[in-house]
Amino acid sequence: MLESLLSQAVNGLVLGFIYVLIAVGLSITFGLLGIINFAHGAFFALGAYVAYQLYQMFGWPAVVFAPIIVGLVGMVVEVVLIRRLYGKEPLISLIVTFALGLLIEALIRVFWGSDGKPLSPPSALTGVFEYGPLLITKYRVAVLLATALTLAALWAFLSYTPYGRILRAGGRDPEMVDMLGINLPRLLTAAFGLGCAIAAIAGVLAGPLWTVSPSMATNAIMPAFVVVAIGGLGSFRGAVFAGLAVGVVISLTIQFKPDAAAASMYAFMFLMLLLRPRGLFGERWERFE
Amino acid sequence: MNESHTMSACGSIGARAGLVALVFGLAASFGALAQTSGPIKIGMIYAKQGPSASLGEFLAHGTELALEQAGNNVLGRPVELTWLDEADPQVAQQNMQKAIDEYKVIAVVGGNSSASALAMMSVASREKIPLILPGAAASEITGKKCNRYTFRTQATVPVQMRGLMPYVSQLGKKVYFITPSYAFGQDILRSSRAMLKEVGLTEVGSDEVPVNTADYSSYILKIRQAKPDVVVGGLVGLDLSNFLKQWNELGMKDKIPFVEIAVSDTDFWNVGPVASTGIYVKPWYYNNPDNTSSEKKFVADFTKKYGRPPSDKAWSGWIAMRSLLESIEQANSTDSAAIIMALEKWRYTEGKFPAFYREWDHQLIKPAVIVQIKKDITDKWDYFNVLKLTSDTEAETAKSFGTREEIGCNMGPI
Repeated sequence: MLESLLSQAVNGLVLGFIYVLIAVGLSITFGLLGIINFAHGAFFALGAYVAYQLYQMFGWPAVVFAPIIVGLVGMVVEVVLIRRLYGKEPLISLIVTFALGLLIEALIRVFWGSDGKPLSPPSALTGVFEYGPLLITKYRVAVLLATALTLAALWAFLSYTPYGRILRAGGRDPEMVDMLGINLPRLLTAAFGLGCAIAAIAGVLAGPLWTVSPSMATNAIMPAFVVVAIGGLGSFRGAVFAGLAVGVVISLTIQFKPDAAAASMYAFMFLMLLLRPRGLFGERWERFE
Repeated sequence: MNESHTMSACGSIGARAGLVALVFGLAASFGALAQTSGPIKIGMIYAKQGPSASLGEFLAHGTELALEQAGNNVLGRPVELTWLDEADPQVAQQNMQKAIDEYKVIAVVGGNSSASALAMMSVASREKIPLILPGAAASEITGKKCNRYTFRTQATVPVQMRGLMPYVSQLGKKVYFITPSYAFGQDILRSSRAMLKEVGLTEVGSDEVPVNTADYSSYILKIRQAKPDVVVGGLVGLDLSNFLKQWNELGMKDKIPFVEIAVSDTDFWNVGPVASTGIYVKPWYYNNPDNTSSEKKFVADFTKKYGRPPSDKAWSGWIAMRSLLESIEQANSTDSAAIIMALEKWRYTEGKFPAFYREWDHQLIKPAVIVQIKKDITDKWDYFNVLKLTSDTEAETAKSFGTREEIGCNMGPI
């Protein structure tokens, strides 16, 4: 019993890390821009599709450019659409980004078709590690490492580099940043692009894991919202803790009661919202505008 | 002055009313004329999105091709085909209603998921519109929940499982089930569990997986812990593709054999030759040398039009539409009751013995085909070797589909 729990828990961590990555992008977009981006899952899917396309045309090394391309697309979307939502009531940004998500998913379907695209991990990463009850593919280990590295790099960027600090300042007090002579609109465009690029990185990593299909957008955005609700909107630490917890909870539920697996994360979120509405590490709301 | 004004107002109202009535009368009679000479509308309800999108695409193409081969018309009138989505049972039911109310279809060919089929059948019965289900293998569709307006082409779960069982018992004694948690998966569990004892097998584990699950690694770990001799699956469409991919990646493909029923070629085309493995039962295979001449023509026409051979779903859509069109011609009418009676008498006479919809449950009586993934897949599309049919003679086939008492279908009058 302990062995099976251990192997499921380890498997859950891999799932959890991907959820963390998706949720962190969502949390950043909210923390820095005040926008709840319902289209976040669509950028995740777009990352996977662009990676698939680049792989088809140029081979594996080109896949690195997928998050960059999606980040650029995100920046264009910000300039054209998102910037009109700042300062408006949250309901408007929910509706607009929801519609944007549907639009991107529909465009994916038009361009690439409705069926799933098979994407296998690179041949260097095929194979499994087997230690007694623990069975994990080499690719999943690589995903774990890549996600951890990305999160660490992101955290370092936001905490220690001047640009990262400016981004965080812009999220807290945009007027002051503006008065200090920093070009705020360009800052916000870059922040949105960053959020989308992170979603795309998660998509690139998840593509070979699960089939690349248009429905992967919904499969990403729902856990992302759950993780963000549990961890606290706008909190990096919260997203990490909550993402890993959700991944492990889902895997352990599958061990004992698989048909409750999908519902288990919602039950977790429900519990958290009852006991501590702001999430594990969320900030207390002073005003809601 | 007022009275005369009122009188003339009445008069003009009366005249206006009369004119309106005349116009409506003319329009109604034109409408009635249109019903016997305008285009005939038929609805298709197949998935356009979600894990069954590939299945829906081939079903629609097969259905459309049957119409094309019939010259795009029936009873000398052009046919308008409308394709609505089957995303989930609620959407399928609403679209069935929409097809009838807005598009004024005289019949619907559609429904691949058993859950959607059950929802659509209730609309068919209430609105008295014929419905032909090319997919949907759950037994209650032509069993306990049967109705006079629904017909089904795919062989039922028990028929397919009975065809698969001898192969399962050759592979070992211990069975693990991984099925989706809805009507189809539950029917697989029910039918298989009833058969396990007679073939001397034991169940060592069972998981019911929600539809549209992306990550099967936790389930695969559970299967590995249970150490079965064979895994019996029930996953549908992209879910099956995902599972096979992850099954292979975790190194399980060559360790434990995998079998399933009611699969489709696209499930394997979507995953590639490397991860494909197993023995399966499916309605039809395009490269079966025993296919009839019209089936071979269908394969040729389909491949020419779409650049790839038809999956079994395309054939299912094709045979369903063929049966509908031929029945409409036979009935010489678009009236539902006439079409129903013609469908009950319809026969597909090519092949070793005829296929037909059984009168008391509307199930198409035709054997399914048992196939195995080739050891070396060299062609882009030809993944399977045909092992045998689920039944070889007319008598065997009729028997395999069960007796009236076993099926439990009691249909009302039209």
